[in-house]
Amino acid sequence: MILVGVDVGGTFTDLVLAETGTGRTVIHKVSTTPADPSQGVVDGILGLCGIAGVAPGAVGHVLHGTTIATNAALEHRGAECGMITTRGYRDVLHIGRHQRPEHYSIQQRIPWQATPLVKRRHRHVVTERLIPPTGAVLVPLAEEEVREAALALKAAGIASIAIGFLFSYLNPAHERRARDIVKEVHPEAFVSLSSDIAPQFREFERFTTTAMNAFIGPPVRDYVARLEGRMKESGLTADLHIMGSNGGVATAKMVGERPVITMLSGPAAGVLGGVWAGALSGRDNLITFDIGGTSADIGIVTGGRFAEATARDTWIAGFPLLTPMIDIHTIGAGGGSIAHVDAGGAFRVGPRSAGAVPGPAAYGRGGTLPTVTDANVVLGRLDPGNFLGGAMSLDVAAARAVIARFAETVKLSVEQAALGILTIINANMANAIRSRTVQKGIDPRGHSLVAFGGAGPLHAVEVAQALGIAEVLVPPAPGITSAMGLLTTDLRYDAVRTCFQVSGALDLARIEAAFADMEREIAAQFAADGVAPADMGFARAGDLRYVGQGYELRVAFGASADAALAAFHAQHRAEYGHAFPDSAVEIVNLRVTGTGARPKLGTPPPQEGGSLAAALVRSGPVVFREGTAETPFYRRDLLPVGEAIPGPCIVLQTDSTTVVPPGCTLLAEAAGNLIIKV
Amino acid sequence: MVDPVTASVIQGALENIAVEIGYKLMRMSYSSIIRESEDFGAALVDAEGRGLAESAQSTPLQSGPIPGYVKHMLATLAARGDAVRPGDVIMHNDPYGGASHGPDVAFIVPVFHGEELVGFSATTAHHLDIGALTPGSCGIVDAIDAYAEGLQFKAIKVWDRGVRNEAVWHILRDNIRASDLVVGDMEAQVAASRIGAERMAALVAQYGLPTFRAACSALMDHAERLMRQAIAALPDGTWRAETMIDGYLDSPDPAKRDLPLVATVTKKGDGITVDLTGTAPQVKDRPINMPFTGTVDVAVWLTVRSVLLDTAVHGHIPVNEGLTRPITIIAPKGCLANPEFPAPTIARFCPGNQLADTVMKALAQAVPEQVSAGIGNLKVIAFSGLKGNTHWVHMEIFEGSYGGRPGADGMDAVDTLYANTRNNPIEDIETHLPLRVERYELREDVAGAGRWRGGLGSVRAFRFLTDGGASVEGEGHQHRPWGFLGGGAGQTARLLLQRADGGEEALPSKVPHRGVKAGDLFLCEGPAGGGYGDPLLRDTEAVRADVLDGLVSPATAKRDYGVVIGVDGAVDAAATAALRGAR
Repeated sequence: MILVGVDVGGTFTDLVLAETGTGRTVIHKVSTTPADPSQGVVDGILGLCGIAGVAPGAVGHVLHGTTIATNAALEHRGAECGMITTRGYRDVLHIGRHQRPEHYSIQQRIPWQATPLVKRRHRHVVTERLIPPTGAVLVPLAEEEVREAALALKAAGIASIAIGFLFSYLNPAHERRARDIVKEVHPEAFVSLSSDIAPQFREFERFTTTAMNAFIGPPVRDYVARLEGRMKESGLTADLHIMGSNGGVATAKMVGERPVITMLSGPAAGVLGGVWAGALSGRDNLITFDIGGTSADIGIVTGGRFAEATARDTWIAGFPLLTPMIDIHTIGAGGGSIAHVDAGGAFRVGPRSAGAVPGPAAYGRGGTLPTVTDANVVLGRLDPGNFLGGAMSLDVAAARAVIARFAETVKLSVEQAALGILTIINANMANAIRSRTVQKGIDPRGHSLVAFGGAGPLHAVEVAQALGIAEVLVPPAPGITSAMGLLTTDLRYDAVRTCFQVSGALDLARIEAAFADMEREIAAQFAADGVAPADMGFARAGDLRYVGQGYELRVAFGASADAALAAFHAQHRAEYGHAFPDSAVEIVNLRVTGTGARPKLGTPPPQEGGSLAAALVRSGPVVFREGTAETPFYRRDLLPVGEAIPGPCIVLQTDSTTVVPPGCTLLAEAAGNLIIKV
Repeated sequence: MVDPVTASVIQGALENIAVEIGYKLMRMSYSSIIRESEDFGAALVDAEGRGLAESAQSTPLQSGPIPGYVKHMLATLAARGDAVRPGDVIMHNDPYGGASHGPDVAFIVPVFHGEELVGFSATTAHHLDIGALTPGSCGIVDAIDAYAEGLQFKAIKVWDRGVRNEAVWHILRDNIRASDLVVGDMEAQVAASRIGAERMAALVAQYGLPTFRAACSALMDHAERLMRQAIAALPDGTWRAETMIDGYLDSPDPAKRDLPLVATVTKKGDGITVDLTGTAPQVKDRPINMPFTGTVDVAVWLTVRSVLLDTAVHGHIPVNEGLTRPITIIAPKGCLANPEFPAPTIARFCPGNQLADTVMKALAQAVPEQVSAGIGNLKVIAFSGLKGNTHWVHMEIFEGSYGGRPGADGMDAVDTLYANTRNNPIEDIETHLPLRVERYELREDVAGAGRWRGGLGSVRAFRFLTDGGASVEGEGHQHRPWGFLGGGAGQTARLLLQRADGGEEALPSKVPHRGVKAGDLFLCEGPAGGGYGDPLLRDTEAVRADVLDGLVSPATAKRDYGVVIGVDGAVDAAATAALRGAR
């Protein structure tokens, strides 16, 4: 079986081809085609097939990570949408939680007011009302009003319509009936129901998620259709799956209906790539650390499972979204981050970035501001002759000049200023990791730091040192780890039901019925996708809180409700440092995650390795925090396998550079990873 | 001295700790006023009580006062001959001793490095009930003195050298309504504050005390420089502004209604003085007096900072004591903004926000491009009732709106200035309380006209499904938000009680606790902000968009903006030009 993973980034489209039988992998990188990324994707796949000597028709599966949905949201380029909602609540989308995003600002723009997903003129209200706790009908749906609203939207040229009624998560009947009416009068409309997209309580967040689905739906649907068309034209008969934010893939059809599930498609694949790399070395407690030019993505993996974001912490383009997502923390810290002195005279690095153009001064494309990459060049950590495998040379003098100019403003030597830049950016990254570990009761010292992206392996050891992490792991192809991650996934669909119940008075039959119902729903979807029953798996979970609390914790809902309650107390203690074992617990949401097993990237053939002498490219002075040291530069592919190599040293490869400071030890494993003992 | 790199790293670490405290408090707490409305504070201060970092998530009126709580707590202990020791947790809520008002109770945990006190980790939170005369802790608008407002805690050790002071916890449970929730929230505060203290101690240990202290000095000096530079960019001058609060509109006593707030801002060099002389005298037996430390100072700091160092313009600015150093506040003893004990203060929320608006109105004359026109003020309703013999209490903050701004219309239906809480989801309220929220929409066709129009208020209706009670604490029923540079005034708020028996009453902005029958409906129409600039200069397409969106009627478009919308929905350019030309 031949699998191809394609991850589209802002600058490059990364590709990997894997033969599951032999374990052979071939990688490739092409420029992203921003006007229509499907062009670059298909060209890249064809190029990759050529390199691998494989006919396009022999590729069985294409797995794709895309930023189409994210970019449509970030750039506010979506469809003109309409909404039909409950009479009396026309402006739930506009008022939100009545909170301003910034405390200390008069001039701020509130995203849902300044750039609404649905303009007020297209938000129609209809008479109907459901009430808790069961979703009983207080006021029946006025079907004629739905019809009038649909006709008005059609007349206004609106082709994407969100339907969101209060309490529909308890009873979707009114929304479904409204959808049927809309489809009758406006058959070509793209319709999103809040009870389908995010059947959970909290109306602003649920309606916003639904409106976002409506907003990005048409562009994502059109993109998927274009990509499928291009693939067909090029003789690529492989089936297409797209990465979701939840760490699994979905069929192209599913993504066409629920595009909002792909919001974090790109970064999610990175975390999975990290998990795969960790598994090569037998590690399953990981912090994945993906650094590119402008940002760093951090994910936490415990026992081989990635953390999921709580629904209240997921925001895209300033809008809250209630969709299952891998917990990925992104901060503005990367190779292009700019060092500056702020108006008050303090030394800062980032979040502003020089980006790809002009980029760092060292790129010689006219960059004039001191960046993290320039600091790495000044300190000798990046080899000017071997950057990107020699495809690009670095301008050392330019880097030194911008850092020297900056050093004067902070009254430090050039080396001190460069070290300072790295110390601050690394501290920012360490703080970001703390906020996802220490703050949630996870001790990072029990985890390995998996460093990838072009700049991850440059910074990882110093970040690990700041956190007390004992080892850093560098995957075989750090620059292409996200694309590898695409080849490690299952189909993964989530279902959720809000179902308020309190411990001591649990209606176990109702809980079981809700779980069974969700499992049936997902199984039907899998069956439609051609997954055999033996390949289906289901995991039950619940969102629980103490009665009266407003934030839920997710726990596995295994053998019994009692076990879930016990797990909740334990997790509350772990996350917050405190539990209230005598207090009543409320079950808020029940969840099922279904997985459909898929063919996957296997273990690569063992590395043969070379010798230190063969691997040595040159040696030269490199500045570390401990001082300047004469440091060998090695070629990664020629390193001896299984031999402890003392730091300091620098490891070169086409897509990244790994820094091993003095006092650390490097080991190249036969399985393919570099392991650095900190 | 500390090198700039270490200073930057320590500052990042302190902010990270403050965020963690706030995150944990919010997620552990029970009452919706804390967990949903986010009416809580979390901050780290040094050994003298100087603010070092605050949680970004907490509300300004909660984190801002924490340094004042700590300074007064220290003074109170010293006056008693007591001191803080390792293992202490200190409760404090004295509005004449740094607290913002009584219901905002602080729990303060000292941080030691060896034997030496190096700082404090503290949280504040607005508690549902603090044992005042009627249920809830908002709408206690008829408290006649500080004793009627509920329990007063002046530097009380709820943990003393590691031993829990059980007596205090019993008193709390026995004297507070809905005490399961309130005491649960207090326990959450203790737990969260302790986590912050542990983290701060570890940070001091990592860098050593001298470096830590030097970094703290450096970060405060840095913030001070930022503020001084921003002030120095203003022209020297003096600017006076006055606004009015409702007070008690139904009171026969003229000294209790239509009261002026006056702010005179004087800028000289790189410092600012805000003089509140001219503000009405305190009301000695009604709780709309504003604690000078904890409410007045925070209102002034917040406004100066939001105008001169607006986050949307300047990016993230660290919040610490340095920001406040260039600002001097003067308020004569005995005025609303500097009351004398035991004048009551519990309902100071809305007057304080009006004071912030007054300071902005003064600054507007100096920096017209950095302000908004007048804001619409807020309102809190405490809904309550009995379930068996246990109280339920739910406090809901009713949003205001902003005035128009240079280049943008006012923000609609949001908390304003020093308040920034969150509403409660309708689907949460109705699931857990005998209330039904029957409407939540924008209030149409009343915004202050302007080139940049004022923000719209909301319309929000709550119906009682069982018998209960309610009290109201609000402002802005009488005096319209100010228009600016030719913009029109905004619109006042209204509150109607539509009774199940068919009667209807227009309520004033303050209503002491009263019984409510099942079926009674509170209909609140929120205030609309003032307009900014001449409405005749408003882009005609923007007027048309408002008409299409149903926010402005065609009649208003014509009357206020001189824009004629044709039957086809398009701007009638000729008619518009004629109409605008004639004015």
